[in-house]
Amino acid sequence: MVPRGERHHLINLFGYRVSWAQLAWFGHRASGLGVLFYLFMHIVETSTVLFGPEVYNAAVGIFKNLPARLGEVVLMAALVYHALNGLRVMAMDFWPRLTEYYRPLTYGVIGATVVAMVPLALIMLRPFAPWG
Amino acid sequence: MTTTTRRPRTIYTNPSRAARPKPEASGRERFWWYFMRLSGLALVFLALGHMFIMHVLVELTGGEIDFAFVQSRWGTPFWRIYDFLLLVLAFVHGANGARIVIGDYVANRTARNFLIGSLLVVSGIWLILGMAVIVFFDPNTAPPVGPFS
Repeated sequence: MVPRGERHHLINLFGYRVSWAQLAWFGHRASGLGVLFYLFMHIVETSTVLFGPEVYNAAVGIFKNLPARLGEVVLMAALVYHALNGLRVMAMDFWPRLTEYYRPLTYGVIGATVVAMVPLALIMLRPFAPWG
Repeated sequence: MTTTTRRPRTIYTNPSRAARPKPEASGRERFWWYFMRLSGLALVFLALGHMFIMHVLVELTGGEIDFAFVQSRWGTPFWRIYDFLLLVLAFVHGANGARIVIGDYVANRTARNFLIGSLLVVSGIWLILGMAVIVFFDPNTAPPVGPFS
């Protein structure tokens, strides 16, 4: 049993009790690797620009549909989270006293990512929305 | 039976436990520790700016990303330098991050060296390809060259 005072910063994830700090750390790695994978693909896609308009327009045309756009929303969320959490890590590295507030800072990063993604996802999905 | 321990004021004795502790000894790993933080700070603006232009501003202004868009964008040195910086910093930052993740999870020394070596070779090839595209793209002569035109 987790002591009463410790309980509120643990969340139950598939039967494992995980702290927000662990989740933030895992999210940072997962989002970073995801963005790196996308970067490999993005370089190949963009390099087709050397073959002229037909080839390039066909290459970017592959990404102009709803599933690809949903993937771009996930990419945006990964990047926003990685950037905000990275700023938190840097702040705590260079001003160690901030580690006292690591928990509100982590909540802030997760909350800010969710809040930022609402308008971003609405804008990005607009061409494919039934009302758009 | 109930032992109540006072909760420490500082949760992490090592302030860097949210990521990677700063290497004690100066040297290559200390350099990469600083590199990840400094390039990360630059990438907050470069990468989020890039995403904001490509996925939000283009969408809001009703524009479309096609060959003509790249032609006009890379016609100006500013965006070429911006994209070049973004490419190099993002790629080195990402490849070094993947190297650290491999180092954390692959305990077998031979397998770890093989994976990190492959990562560096593949990343190097990709980075050179990306840099070549930004440097050698010519907005004027691009359409008539290439096997499909």
